[in-house]
Order: sequence, then C-alpha cells, then structure tokens
Amino acid sequence: MSEQQETPNPLDPFDTWTAMRDAGLKSWTAMRDANLEALSKMLIDLVNSEAYSQATSQWLDTYLTLSQPFQRVIETTMTQALTRLNMPVRTEVISLAERLTNVEMRLDDLDAKLDDIQRAIKALAASNRAADTPAEAKEIH
Amino acid sequence: MLSSSLPAIPAALESELRQIEENTRTLLRVSTSHARVAQTPKQVIWTLNKARLYHYIPVVPAEQRHKVPLLLVFALMNRPYILDLRPGNSFVEYMVKQGYDVYLLDWGAPGPEDKGLKFDDYVLDYLTRAIRKLKAVSGSDELSVLGWCIGAILTTIYAALRPDDGLKNLLLLTAPLDFTDKTAGGFVRWVNDQYFDPDKIIEAFGNMPGELIDYGAKALKPVENYIGSYLTLWDNLDNPRIVESWHAMNTWVTDLIPMAGATYKQLIGELYRENRLIEGRMIIRGERVDLRRIRANLLNVIALADHISPPCQSESIMTNVSSTDQLLLKVKGGHIGMMAGSGALKYTWPHIDSWLAARSD
Repeated sequence: MSEQQETPNPLDPFDTWTAMRDAGLKSWTAMRDANLEALSKMLIDLVNSEAYSQATSQWLDTYLTLSQPFQRVIETTMTQALTRLNMPVRTEVISLAERLTNVEMRLDDLDAKLDDIQRAIKALAASNRAADTPAEAKEIH
Repeated sequence: MLSSSLPAIPAALESELRQIEENTRTLLRVSTSHARVAQTPKQVIWTLNKARLYHYIPVVPAEQRHKVPLLLVFALMNRPYILDLRPGNSFVEYMVKQGYDVYLLDWGAPGPEDKGLKFDDYVLDYLTRAIRKLKAVSGSDELSVLGWCIGAILTTIYAALRPDDGLKNLLLLTAPLDFTDKTAGGFVRWVNDQYFDPDKIIEAFGNMPGELIDYGAKALKPVENYIGSYLTLWDNLDNPRIVESWHAMNTWVTDLIPMAGATYKQLIGELYRENRLIEGRMIIRGERVDLRRIRANLLNVIALADHISPPCQSESIMTNVSSTDQLLLKVKGGHIGMMAGSGALKYTWPHIDSWLAARSD
C-alpha cells in the first residue's frame, strides 16, 4: 500500500506533480536547513563579538539620549494637564500604590502573629488533652 | 488504466486543498491566540503586592504524600507557568502526581511603583514571608526550595541568609551565580561596563522593559529564535502534538513582563560585573551573603546546551557551600528546554524526583 503511494502513477498528472513537489520540497528543506545552520553559526559568532556589544550599546545609548527630552516634555505636559483637571498625577498614584504595599506588609505581619497564636493554642490544647487522658481513664475504671 | 486514474485526480486535489486550508487555519490560530496554560488545579494562599503564592491541590492521599513540601521559585522576568505549561507537559503536575505538596511563588509583573525593588526586598520581604505562610499552611517546619534561573539566585541568597529557617533541600536549576569568566556567553559580554549603561535604561524606563529582556534572550541565538522556531511549526503543521506544544511555548515566550529597575541594576552591577555573590561580597540589607552558611542538601542541575546561563556560571557553587549532601546533575537541553521541552519528562524530571524523594520524608 505504501509502496503504491510512493510510486507515482505516470498517467496521473496530479500524482506526478505531487511526487515532483514532494521531492522538490525535500531537497529545498535540506538546503534551507544547511543554509540556516551556517547562518546561525555566523550570527552566534557575531553577537558574541566585542564589535556587536559596542554597536548595540551605542545604538541603545543614542536612542535613550534622543528620546529623553521628548519623554520629559510629555511627562511635564501630562502632569500640568492632569493637575488642571483636578486629577491625580502619575507620581501620586505610584505613591498610593507604595502605601498600599506597606499596608499589605503590616497585614502580613498581623497574619504571621495570628498563625503563631493559633499554633500555640493548638499545642496547648494538645498538651492539655494528653494530661487529661489518664485522669479520665481512672474515672471510667 | 487512464480511466481508473482519472477519478482520483479531483479527490487528491481536494485532499491537498483541504490540507492547505487546515494548515492555514492552524497557523492563524496558533499565531494569534493564547494556548490554555497553567491548568493544574491550585489555590492562592498568600499575596503581597503583585506576588502570589499558589498551593497545588494534592492528588495523592495524605498518608502517601512526601512530608516535606516543595516550593518552586521561578525567575523575575518571565511568567512562572513555564513550570505548569500544559497537561502532560507540566513539571508541577508531574511532581503533584509523585506525591509532593507543591507550592509556587509567582512574583507578578512589577509596575512603576515597584521600580525600587531590589534583591534585598524580594528575598527578605517576599520570599521569607511566602515561606512563613507555606509553613503555616502545610504544617511542616521543613521545606524544599527549587529555584530556576534568577529564581536560583534568590533562593541561594535566602539559603545563605536564613540557613536555620527550615530549608532542608535546595534545588538550583541553570543558576547564574558565578561570573568569573567574562567571555562565557553573550550576556556577560553585552553588559560589559565599557559600553553598556544600565542606569541610563532604568532612568528612562523605570523598570527594565520585557521587550528589551526578550530581545536580549532571543538575540543570543537569532536564527533559532527568530526563524527556526517558526520553521519548526511550519514543517509540523500536520502534527497536532508538536503544534499544541509550540502554541503553549509561544504563549509563554510572548507573555513578557518587565524587571524591577533596581533589581536589574543590581543584577548587572553587583553580579554580572562585580561577581559579588560567589566571592562572598554581596550585602543584603546590611547582611553579608556568605555561601558557606548554606548547609541544606543541594541538587544543582545544569543544562549542557544552556546559552543563557552557561554551565561555568553554575558549577562553582558546589565548592562554595557547606552542604555535605550535594549532587551536580548535568542534563540534556537548553536553559528552558531542559525543564519544559519534550525531553524533560525523560531526562530531567525523574532525576529531580528521585533525588528529592529520598530527602523528603
């Protein structure tokens, strides 16, 4: 069955085309993979080079230097606009979020203390039970 | 013969067209949607700021379960559900089935208000508190902690600062701890202080943007990450197993989160450049991180093909700790593939389980 499928029917144009396409794709894939492997090795060497480190760092530095003045203008404009609209500005929201985290930490401290108390009560109850057991046993007998 | 072959032409053509249509649909679906990930049943037992501590619902009866609970700590700049990617390919699911009481600490995505968070805060405020809650919920005074990548840095610092806090087993995966070799891997070269200025990035963005971290990780192997990954999908569009696996992994890879600005500066300055941790010069809130204080049983797992944390960055911890029970395990695979790839179930997880099982009762 499989052999029948692999051998194209010469009188079936579609079958012949399929076989040709499969063979073409197979060789193209092999060629593609070989080329990509070579390209990969070359690019890995490139990105590990000193020149690449220098180039990307310089590109990033230039981008940050050029974008910073615009960023400052946007920030200042937004702060002024929000203040005029009687809306909280970014720094105020950030400050509020930080305060919330501090409140969460205090709650976590309380939670820790409650866990400690709960554990102590359980331990006490267990030791009381252990102390009571012989007495109860005596009463029964 | 001709007549017998003629009717087959439209049927074969139809089948070909159907296949092309199906492949196109699959391609569109996996490239434009998110896979269903992190499906192992769990509940949130603790939160602080963006951090969450999850407890996975045990499937093994209590009397058959290992006594020592296991806490998983992943890196700060990616989502931790890589440890619970999808059913059948989930380390969490595997460990729950092996009878462990599993917890996972999700750091969350830092916002602008978190730009000042440092390793100090993550270790002493977040990790320490999460461990306290874990102990309260599990009822165990001892625990095992597994740290992966930056998570391994955090757990190592914790293990050194709090050696008497019940840490029984410390498992480190692809841990970038030793930066003595300044030629090992692209990251070490890129963050060379001669050219790279992390302060300027953080001043501009507040936090280190996820996109920049992602670019850095992918650029280490540009062909594999930018072309090879998609070709793998293209070549296997008719294989549902590979397609679904690719979809889940792509969902994780594209789910980017930033890294707190102060932590990033600390990572580059104090670790990559000054190598303070392994040299015993790192100070966390006034306390020196002395690795010799680590006495917990230590399993150090290294990926042989790791290009993000090359093996030389992880190996030397073995001689810097006081743990008498320690094992260095070298496994097949890369930084992520080692734990989440198709070979993880065969080459990594069983080794972790067998080592940990012997030390968890």
